[in-house]
Amino acid sequence: MKHAFLDEYSGLQSPMHRLDPRAKLVGLVALVVICVSTPPDLYAAFAAYLGLELILVLISRLPWKHVLGRMLIVLPFILVVAVFLPFFNKGGGSYNLGPFTVSAHGLLVLWNVAIKSTVSVLAVILLSSTTPFPELLKGLEKLRVPRLLTTIMSFMYRYIFVLSDELQRMRRARDSRGWSGKWLWQAKVIGHMIAALFLRSYERGERVYAAMLARGYDGGLRTIYLYDFGAVELGFVALVTLFPLAARLLAVG
Amino acid sequence: MHIPDGFLNSGVSIATGVVAAGAVGYGLYKAREELDEKSVPMLALCAAFVFAAQMLNFPVAGGTSGHFLGGILAAVLLGPWLGSLVIALVLLVQCLGFADGGLTALGANVFNMAVIGTILSYYFFYGIKALLPKSRTAFLAATGAVAWLSVMLASGAAAVELAVSGTTPLSVTLPAMLGVHAIIGVGEAVITVLVVGTVLAVRPDLVKTYGYQPPVPRFEEAEVNQ
Repeated sequence: MKHAFLDEYSGLQSPMHRLDPRAKLVGLVALVVICVSTPPDLYAAFAAYLGLELILVLISRLPWKHVLGRMLIVLPFILVVAVFLPFFNKGGGSYNLGPFTVSAHGLLVLWNVAIKSTVSVLAVILLSSTTPFPELLKGLEKLRVPRLLTTIMSFMYRYIFVLSDELQRMRRARDSRGWSGKWLWQAKVIGHMIAALFLRSYERGERVYAAMLARGYDGGLRTIYLYDFGAVELGFVALVTLFPLAARLLAVG
Repeated sequence: MHIPDGFLNSGVSIATGVVAAGAVGYGLYKAREELDEKSVPMLALCAAFVFAAQMLNFPVAGGTSGHFLGGILAAVLLGPWLGSLVIALVLLVQCLGFADGGLTALGANVFNMAVIGTILSYYFFYGIKALLPKSRTAFLAATGAVAWLSVMLASGAAAVELAVSGTTPLSVTLPAMLGVHAIIGVGEAVITVLVVGTVLAVRPDLVKTYGYQPPVPRFEEAEVNQ
């Protein structure tokens, strides 16, 4: 079974991987917030954010192919929503591009969403590809995210792989019986597959709950937290918040 | 499709974030009340189910495909609040695990899909269901109609948020989003009806909003011959 998703490469060894998840969460979320709130014409500031992230990718030894592949996820949204903007928006002067007129304001809006979503998506990739998902959830819990939420999500993480295995088995069985769907009225098979998946998931949930009760489950989970928020973590948070902040302030002048 | 970072301004991000956090908070409260300690395994399995079901593409026309969203399915199966909590959990995992949907746009994505696409749409479903006769066919018809509507409402909300943020003009985005999602919504409706129909046939007790009453066997008073 092949399921290379979620926290792929989070098991590598690097200074980034060894950081306390809390430091990565706080630092990278701050970086995203700083980036999103930067006015689009401060080009130098965006160059600084990207530069910082590329250095962090180098430090974390993530394969570039993986990082670039993951970054493609914002592409559909930009293509559908934003790419036509230069042709529709008016104002701010215009350029002629063959038969089309391109407005400067529209170009600026397109640049704005493209660079901000790129910087932000890279920040989240840095977070999720250097932190095993259960550790990330424990970090969130230490940051006072409701315990019920993080516990449900850690169970979800456990069962997503089981259920996608289940689904792949069903899909293989379907395809080996010669199913090839091209039209919506052939979707009946998909409906039955999803219904079967729901029933199996729900019944598995009941079984898991019974098994947990039998092992003394009382609504809470006790886990250990192996990280320590030390000087390295403090330095990391300072780097990824103060450097972009300084870049942004200096870019104005 | 999830809104990435950078498309929304701070006002929209914060306003939708507050509403989304409120809905998730109330969902967690309802989960504690209705399921108690059972909520962890049950909600986790249901969320993992929606997550996995979204990976399954269905054909639309001539080889193009779309994937299932599941907002109304979750609401019909689990009720509006737990359903929206499940959808919010899926969005949260997609945001943190895949970078699908921005961190600062998380509130807006949860608002669109879990509040508008699940809770609000559920109350449309509730209204339509009350108007129709009480039968399995009517229940499925209401499910299908609202599944289509929920996709339209969620995409319309996204278009409005983008316009309010000053990213895209509403006059262009709204028709474009609604046009694309009118087709996606048909697929969503077909799949939702098929899934709910199958679950009703096999385990009607699991469709929470159907109000299934198991037949109670009647016992006649035993005749005692003297």
